[in-house]
Amino acid sequence: MHAPTLPVATGRPAAADWAALALRARWRRVAEQSVLLALLLAVSLPIILPYFWMVVISFTARSGGVAVSVLWTACAVIVPAVIVYCVVHLATRSTRVRLIAAAALLAATVALLAALVGDALHFANYRFLWRPNIVEEIRSKATAGGQFPSVWIAFRNSLALALSETAIILTVALLAGYYVSRFAFRGREAFLQGLLVLHAFPAMTLIIPLFLILNWIGLLDTIVGVMLVLATIELPFYVFVLKGFFDAVPWDIEMSAMTDGATRRQAFRLVVLPQVRVGLIAVGVFAFIRAWEEYIFVRTMLIENTHWVMSLYLYWVSDDIMGVDYGIVAAVSVFYVLPSLLLYVFCQKYLTQMTIGGIRG
Amino acid sequence: MARIELRNVQKRWGEAAAVERIDLAIDDGAFVAILGPSGCGKTTTLLMLAGIYSPTSGDIAFDGARVNDVEARDRNVGIVFQSYALYPSMSVLENILFPLRFAKVGRAEGERRAREIAALVQIEPLLERRPSQLSGGQQQRVALARALVKRPRLLLLDEPLSNLDASLRLTMRTEIRRIQRELGVTTILVTHDQIEATTMADRVVVMNAGGIEQEGTARDLYERPATLFVATFIGSPPINLFDGVAAGDAVTVRDATLPLSSLATGEVVLGVRPESVRANGGGMPARVAAVEPMGREVLYTAECPFGAIRFVEAGADARLREGDHVALDYTPGGVLLFDKASGRRLETRIVS
Amino acid sequence: MRESDFRRAQARRQQANFALFLGPALVLLACFFLAPVIVDLGLAFTDMGRTLAVTTLTLDNFERMTSRDTRLLGSLGVTAVFVLCTLGIFNITFALLLALTTTAVPRALGAFFRAVWLLPRMSPSVVYALLWLWVVDPNERGLLNQVLIHVFGMGPVDLRNHHPLFVIIVANGFIGASLGMIIFTSAIRSIPEHLFHAARADGAGALAIVRHIVFPALRWPISYMTIHQTLSLLVSFEYILLITGGGPFFDTTVFSLYAYRRAFENGQYAYGAALSLILIVLGVIAALGLWRLMDMRRLLQTPRIEVH
Repeated sequence: MHAPTLPVATGRPAAADWAALALRARWRRVAEQSVLLALLLAVSLPIILPYFWMVVISFTARSGGVAVSVLWTACAVIVPAVIVYCVVHLATRSTRVRLIAAAALLAATVALLAALVGDALHFANYRFLWRPNIVEEIRSKATAGGQFPSVWIAFRNSLALALSETAIILTVALLAGYYVSRFAFRGREAFLQGLLVLHAFPAMTLIIPLFLILNWIGLLDTIVGVMLVLATIELPFYVFVLKGFFDAVPWDIEMSAMTDGATRRQAFRLVVLPQVRVGLIAVGVFAFIRAWEEYIFVRTMLIENTHWVMSLYLYWVSDDIMGVDYGIVAAVSVFYVLPSLLLYVFCQKYLTQMTIGGIRG
Repeated sequence: MARIELRNVQKRWGEAAAVERIDLAIDDGAFVAILGPSGCGKTTTLLMLAGIYSPTSGDIAFDGARVNDVEARDRNVGIVFQSYALYPSMSVLENILFPLRFAKVGRAEGERRAREIAALVQIEPLLERRPSQLSGGQQQRVALARALVKRPRLLLLDEPLSNLDASLRLTMRTEIRRIQRELGVTTILVTHDQIEATTMADRVVVMNAGGIEQEGTARDLYERPATLFVATFIGSPPINLFDGVAAGDAVTVRDATLPLSSLATGEVVLGVRPESVRANGGGMPARVAAVEPMGREVLYTAECPFGAIRFVEAGADARLREGDHVALDYTPGGVLLFDKASGRRLETRIVS
Repeated sequence: MRESDFRRAQARRQQANFALFLGPALVLLACFFLAPVIVDLGLAFTDMGRTLAVTTLTLDNFERMTSRDTRLLGSLGVTAVFVLCTLGIFNITFALLLALTTTAVPRALGAFFRAVWLLPRMSPSVVYALLWLWVVDPNERGLLNQVLIHVFGMGPVDLRNHHPLFVIIVANGFIGASLGMIIFTSAIRSIPEHLFHAARADGAGALAIVRHIVFPALRWPISYMTIHQTLSLLVSFEYILLITGGGPFFDTTVFSLYAYRRAFENGQYAYGAALSLILIVLGVIAALGLWRLMDMRRLLQTPRIEVH
């Protein structure tokens, strides 16, 4: 079948047009990227600034005053440095140039900051670490029903809560995740669907009955009680995450372990478990961080101040002396955030491995 | 229509070079195939011509003007991807109309052109369907239509036939050639299949590891390969290779010594095409080691004084059997000699 | 061993395995997830007050909810404004904007800005709320006031008391935008590269590419996020509690916070339970809806070893 022919395009653009197009393309690219970057910087600044402020205040504020000038001076040095680096990053594609520029800018920034604001830095705000009665000192009276606890008590409680909750979650979710991943049992589908519904269900709505249940079984105002509640609420999520990891272990090695003479449980312990090590670390770290940062449940269920965790400690410190001494509050904040921040940064590789049904956590 | 030039073009990704220095000139209206194994840089070169990638160094010129900085959308290049890259949320007609949105063509005129092109590639009954409802061959023709509807000055095809089955491949080969001849658009085809390259294009450029090994007509590449790589890549079954040592006016392969037409020294590789070896009566003694019927011909592997040698005989049935002793005849002048270290072909020949 | 012995041993081991592996999870879930739902259901029909004692069963709570509680209406209004604004402006729209812009700039810079926007969600709620309190501090030490005074030459504002709803919408919005940003970025990244190449060669500019290539791929994530975030906004009140406490008075008390305050500030546990019941029902419906949207097939991979 002879197909119809097409009229051929006539004429070709003169060479000058190419140069104009190239120029236009260059401008377009510069304009687009600058607008995007300006936009991103503009909306990101309101977020970075308060965090930065918190760190600065913790190191510079004196009792009763806030080192406003320090903040703005530091900003005036850092923000231009960041902008200059962005421009360099865009202008050149060579990694070497970028690294040199980054190093140079960093050195210049640090030097300038040291010169301009260095003498305003001090550690006095961190004295809550070694002097437990700071609130009484400042307010010259006891608050919150009794003596204000030392930060280390709160730290110890937080640690106990986070570690024990992580341990429970790892054990329970591990066992359950393995079972739903690898065993056929009646009601498996129903159980998984139920878990999914529970995962999507907002647990915060249950805070009132949970409070009462804990009270009835005598676990109100105990770390154990809060730990059990928190572990249960997060359980569906972690079961799915670990199930995902187990799903990824090939059947062959389990089958070969069993033909080698192991029982199902031995195969689990000796062969399958080592394969999901990454998953365990990811879940462990994530659960720890969540427990460390928990506020609403601990606020509702912990009452005695010797049972306080770090989040409550920080809350009450700020509640009592916020208007009076920003410095200490900022210092406590920094101290509180540091562990979870370090965990995030160093375990990022593991945390990004967690997925549930294809959506990364 | 455009004359395309690549001058000293290089593309690096970080430290690794995908394309080393490439120098290539393609005439207006020509149909050129870039042939090479996967990873040789041919697709990268194609995407640089389209403006998707930018060369790290060197120039790309259309009609003598440097276009490195011109964006893809301003180059008026039509490109058919290996995966066809049809927009999944649009119908076939909308896919074809897509480029016309940006060419400032009115809706009515655009539809007319789209239907014209659809008729040319014979997909008229499919215009209302979605890409997911089409077969591979149909999708490819839609991609072709989309590339052609904007009357491109350059048509780029990335492995257009590799995802099609054998019979469809044959049909589309002829189709694409016909369309290219009718429209006269400069076309560059990228492929790893030498049959595709040699049967569709006027000229073939062989690429390997980011560089051009040789360019010329299919015949040039077959009869006068510039390097060992080209000799092994072109020709099916692959050329027989034997190591040898040249010392002045003769070359020694295993125990045999053959005279050369001109002087050569050092380690060499001898190449003998299977098609030029005959097992009929006189010649080198050999013993058949393997027999593989290939349908149209039979491929034999035999042990000869030089080593293992492959040769073919036409016909579906095998005349010889494993273990048969035969005498192999070959044309000495047809033996290719290559320098072992550099891979370059030497001009010297074997004298009979 | 005879077959019936084998089967019995298998059955015993199967039950043992079930108890060992699944038992702890089931016990925990029953006690602290399912039991509270039932308890709440029962509680809603009692008169439990500060004394934590139940004396009668009554429908009082529901009657109060529907006819006598004027604060409730105000709270519902606040909830509606809060959810619609936060969802519409931040959780979906701003998240989309962030996803689009951070994928359009070079990869490292995009990752940096995404990390910045994750900061609110990653920080402990107490710290985040504290920062907000500093920012909107009504005297001139507040960060916002400093900017207004020194950069714009305006007087100090007291957002916390005069525009508290604005504060909680923006505060929750920053948190909400980050989740959508991640999901949408992941969806954008999974669009095959060659579609972008084809569109560029076809002549499409940046906006055309967003319209024709990116948005069609985001339809499902946007629907999913909308439902998920609506539910999340309806039930969460942690940040509101920390920043404004629901005040001044009840001006920023959303429905979920209202239930909490009635229970824990006024000691009206039964009433709080009744209010929570509405949320629980809503939660179940939304959870079921979300479940339908998710891809169940991949989650239900059938096991291949049948022996225990």
